[in-house]
Amino acid sequence: MDIVLEAKQLKKQYQDKLALKGLDLQIKAGEIFCLLGQNGAGKSTTINLFLGFIKPTSGAAYINGLEVAANITKIKEYLAYIPENVMLYPNLTGLENLALFSSLAGFDYDKVQLMHYLISAGLPAEAASRRVGGYSKGMRQKVGIAIAVAKHAKVLLLDEPTSGLDPKASNEFSELLLKLSEAGTAIFMATHDIFRSKEVGTRVGIMREGELVDVLSAAELDANELEKLYLNYMHV
Amino acid sequence: MVKSIAKKEFISTLRDSRFVALSVIVLLLLLAATMVGLHSYQTLQEEREVAQQTVNEQFANSADRHPHRMAHYGSYAFRPKSSISFLDFGMDSYTGASVYMEAHRQNSANFSQAQQSSSLIRFGEMTVAFVLQMLIPLLIIFLCFGAFTQEKETGTLTILLSQGVSLQQVAWAKIAGYSKVVLLVVAPALVLASLLLFGRGGFELNGDLYSRLLLFMLFYLLYFFIFIVLSVVLSALHQRSSTALVTLLGIWILFCVITPKATANLGATLYTTPTKAQMDVEVHEEVAKGVDGHNSGDERAEAIKQELLQTYGVATLEELPINFDGVLMAVGEEHSSKVYQEHFDELTAIFQKQNNISVFAGLLNPYLAVRHLSMGMAGSDFSHYIHFQNKAEQYRYNQSQELNHIQATKLKYGDKETRLSGDTWKNLKPFQYEAPGAGWALSNHSISLVALLLWLGLVCTLGIRLIGYSKIA
Repeated sequence: MDIVLEAKQLKKQYQDKLALKGLDLQIKAGEIFCLLGQNGAGKSTTINLFLGFIKPTSGAAYINGLEVAANITKIKEYLAYIPENVMLYPNLTGLENLALFSSLAGFDYDKVQLMHYLISAGLPAEAASRRVGGYSKGMRQKVGIAIAVAKHAKVLLLDEPTSGLDPKASNEFSELLLKLSEAGTAIFMATHDIFRSKEVGTRVGIMREGELVDVLSAAELDANELEKLYLNYMHV
Repeated sequence: MVKSIAKKEFISTLRDSRFVALSVIVLLLLLAATMVGLHSYQTLQEEREVAQQTVNEQFANSADRHPHRMAHYGSYAFRPKSSISFLDFGMDSYTGASVYMEAHRQNSANFSQAQQSSSLIRFGEMTVAFVLQMLIPLLIIFLCFGAFTQEKETGTLTILLSQGVSLQQVAWAKIAGYSKVVLLVVAPALVLASLLLFGRGGFELNGDLYSRLLLFMLFYLLYFFIFIVLSVVLSALHQRSSTALVTLLGIWILFCVITPKATANLGATLYTTPTKAQMDVEVHEEVAKGVDGHNSGDERAEAIKQELLQTYGVATLEELPINFDGVLMAVGEEHSSKVYQEHFDELTAIFQKQNNISVFAGLLNPYLAVRHLSMGMAGSDFSHYIHFQNKAEQYRYNQSQELNHIQATKLKYGDKETRLSGDTWKNLKPFQYEAPGAGWALSNHSISLVALLLWLGLVCTLGIRLIGYSKIA
């Protein structure tokens, strides 16, 4: 399968702190790569480098073969992003938010299509016409998923997407990720959730102090082994 | 892309009840200022028209008089208000409304509204211009301070940018959206002002009026646009809404409160004007060096007398075909007018220098630039006042000389008793003031226009470019 997301000796230095220490990584289409790590381990920095929101100190990030730093706008065509807390425009309805973000990505859907994406993402139909200001975090997260799915991106970048979601919403979210993966989307998910990583991940990476210390095949170990290994790396 | 975000900004703002409430207040203020301004304009204009007509009739229907007595009887010139001065009173409230025109004396305009009103007028009036210059920028600041900072604080900016839009595209879209919102607040008042203006009679609806009104609106739209872009750019350069708001309010205070006062004070300090008493003394002294029309025994009058006698080949003043008294009056008038005009020009030049400090400060402050342009288009600025003052003086001089000519040609030398028929005065043209055109007004404010355009260019190029340095994550 094609490599759609790649990092080559990717480094990021913030004044006196080396946030990312030469990351080398390749993620193929249809693969779900879960990156585990504590707060400040460098997970969000990695995502921001792939998004082009920050510039690398050295090395390079690639999306679909294009160097991110040199193709800031072009690479956005291939990726979708869901942050930890999807914050939408509170004065717009769920439908209006999805219509706006989709049109920015170049997709002008009609109302029926928009409703389809929202309902597929798990949002109740009656909520779609309500203003997002009154949504729960889970509902906003579902609109975020709908935005990502409606973009038909090759790469999905997720930053702690299930943080704060109830178990039912988390399970629905995992199912959706698996569906997207089956459809060929490469997914990079930064998370603290070891069990979710084991459940949905193809591979699981462990990051500590800006360094990718291990990459494991999710199929080869169970959740308990993964937790033990992770805690070992964290020196707990 | 830009269209979608602009639409979102427009809809979001309209659904924000706090902003809607604020906009309604500003709109009501604008409408109230328009109505109050128009009422004030109508009252003053009618008063002046009636007063001008009355003095013209009084002059034309004067009794049989000696022409020089008539010259001293004099007349008044009332300054008509510019049709759109109801939008911007400018200096009208402080400059005089009428000039007493008499022989040998040049009077400045008197009876300003400020002189006749309570001191409250000096704290500023609620005019359309006040709302447009001071309050709309404040509304814009409250509308735009969180343009980027709120998106950064909530995290929507990262989602927005991940969809493939650039920071600059987001900025332009927000500017477009906010411009539409501001237009929604301002347009009803401007439309109402236009309808009131065109719907009422009493003044000529001509190309000049349309040009002035269109330029007036255009300059304000540019001014608002500058404030919108500036607010959006500064919002992008800040990480927090609170600091962006404090910065923008600081700029507003600097632009709209501190700088105008500071430039006015600086101008008055650098270029001091002589007192009225000082100027009167100087004019009097210099006039005294010329021919005194009332004193035919004067040395300089003697020289004129000899020259006339020689020209006409006669021995005595009584034999002259023209009345020497009238000739002497004309020469004296010519001299005193010249002296006065020189002093008046010097005084005007000092005022102009004081004004120039504020005009050039417009290069650093768009508020000052638009204030000058607004007054200029409304016909309530210093230039229009001086234009009227000069026209009144020109009329006074011509009328005095015409009366001197009547004395020189219709009365005999030494005749101080004959009274000319009252019909004589009916033939004298009454004072009619025609205000200068929009082109003239604009040419007086070319620096302010350049300043406004430079500001526009600066915020749209450098400002938008700076947004690229904004921190996203």
